Amino acid sequence: MENNNENRRDGVWGQPYALASGQTQFHQLGHIRLWVTLLDLEWQIRSETLELDTDPASWTETIGHTLPAASVPLQRFVREKQSSAVTFVPAVANLPTVIRPYQPLTIPAGGRCTIYVGTPVWMKVCVGERQTMLAEVPLALPSLTWVGRNTMEGELCYSSTSYARMVLEAVPKRPWRAVTPVTLINRRSEPLLLERFSLPTPLLSLHQNERGQLWTPGVTVEVETDMNSASLHVDQFLLAAAGTCRPVADAREKLARGRLVRAFDRMFG
Amino acid sequence: MKVFTDIAWGQWLSSGFLLVLGLFLGSLAGRSVSRFMAGRSSRHHTVMVRRLVFYVIVVLFSIASLREAGFSLDVVLGAAGILTVAIGFASQTSASNMISGLFLLVEKPFEIGDFIEVDATLGEVIGIDMLSVKLRTADNLFVRIPNETLIKTRVINRSRFPIRRLDLMLGIAYAEDVERVEALLLELAEKDPSCLEEPKPFTLVTAFGPSSVDVQFSFWVPKERVLEGRSGMMVAIKKALDHAEIEIPFPHTSVYAGSHSEPFRVQLLGPGTNTEKDLLDANKDS
Repeated sequence: MENNNENRRDGVWGQPYALASGQTQFHQLGHIRLWVTLLDLEWQIRSETLELDTDPASWTETIGHTLPAASVPLQRFVREKQSSAVTFVPAVANLPTVIRPYQPLTIPAGGRCTIYVGTPVWMKVCVGERQTMLAEVPLALPSLTWVGRNTMEGELCYSSTSYARMVLEAVPKRPWRAVTPVTLINRRSEPLLLERFSLPTPLLSLHQNERGQLWTPGVTVEVETDMNSASLHVDQFLLAAAGTCRPVADAREKLARGRLVRAFDRMFG
Repeated sequence: MKVFTDIAWGQWLSSGFLLVLGLFLGSLAGRSVSRFMAGRSSRHHTVMVRRLVFYVIVVLFSIASLREAGFSLDVVLGAAGILTVAIGFASQTSASNMISGLFLLVEKPFEIGDFIEVDATLGEVIGIDMLSVKLRTADNLFVRIPNETLIKTRVINRSRFPIRRLDLMLGIAYAEDVERVEALLLELAEKDPSCLEEPKPFTLVTAFGPSSVDVQFSFWVPKERVLEGRSGMMVAIKKALDHAEIEIPFPHTSVYAGSHSEPFRVQLLGPGTNTEKDLLDANKDS
């Protein structure tokens, strides 16, 4: 089951890997272990979720012939047109992600700040030249939460605890997390206590820089005069600090307008 | 023979043709609308619009068919009025169900695809029709409930809101530390991916029962994960309590066979059952 350390390499997003029939590519990334096997007539995907106390920082992949124990669930797919290339494409979360700072942050009246948050991404296993998607695997098992005025009105979100770092260098860069700069502007005459914030991850596209890090466009949230509404704006461009980036995945949902107004209580706790 | 030759066969044939054409076109249009709306709207709305399109087309073609057959619409409507009064008394139930059906459509207490509970029947709504609502129960039974019953009785819609709270009741032995059990339960909720972080899970001590301290453990799950949430959590609770050596007691029953007979001798078999705590009084005395 264990793979040779000599063959172990760093995994890369969006790069086609060629497999020979009978070979298995093994990935250890985020909180999962993934095996992709190519057979003469089919693809096989096995994955298992690890219960880890700490976040792993690296992504390793190995090509070999070893398979995991039979207890690891197996998915089988018909192999078409003798395609032998497999590509791993990242995708943002399919629900908004609630960012909850370990320590609440207060934004004074008329103040603004930018916090950097890292949200876990999903891995799409795509095969062939047309990159047909076979499976989509979350790289960290997200817990769910509810954001809304009451248990009747609101929406289901993923939950992510965060240090809400305000210094970009302090944000850990991991190949399975996308960094989003969130600018919060408090235009009210009262301080704003940021206990939690719902980041609309399905509206964000994913970009990869030269160091293999994933970035999304920045999000600006402007809290207006009253508590009932806040406006949200997804930036067109990436942060300059991200460096030269290439797009790797579109947003899951299209933003109808450049400026999105949502109920205040759906955005903040 | 003259009777047959006097009948305007051509007129009747074209009338019948119009009727059949109406049914065919109505069905075709209904299906097309259904296909168009399938990915764009809910199942409930799709079915409602499909039916509306079908009935409108069929009614239009029926009117045309009647006119073609030589009936005046005024006469037909007049006859229908008289018929309504005449058969109204005989069809009270049907009329009541039809009117109730209209109220159900307007009030919309449930939609097609919702899980509802009517009296003691729980099932998925698979059809809301003119006279009745059809349910498919969890054990795959078809249940037809008259619309009138649904208007009169209490209906619980289990799918209306996106999240549900599950309340699990468990008893723990009097000797155990209740606060430790509560902390353990909340830790389980934190680990379970089906369990929502907000609204927060909580525990309540509800009663000092005959053989146990009764604790209510409440947590929220998405409506799609109710079954796995409940079952998964109960398994996790059992495992966690066993692991922490916390006893879940069961009611103890003493069987008395009369003053002149010897007491029954009860012996517990199996590993782990012969501890001091588990020995019965009868065993101690012997």
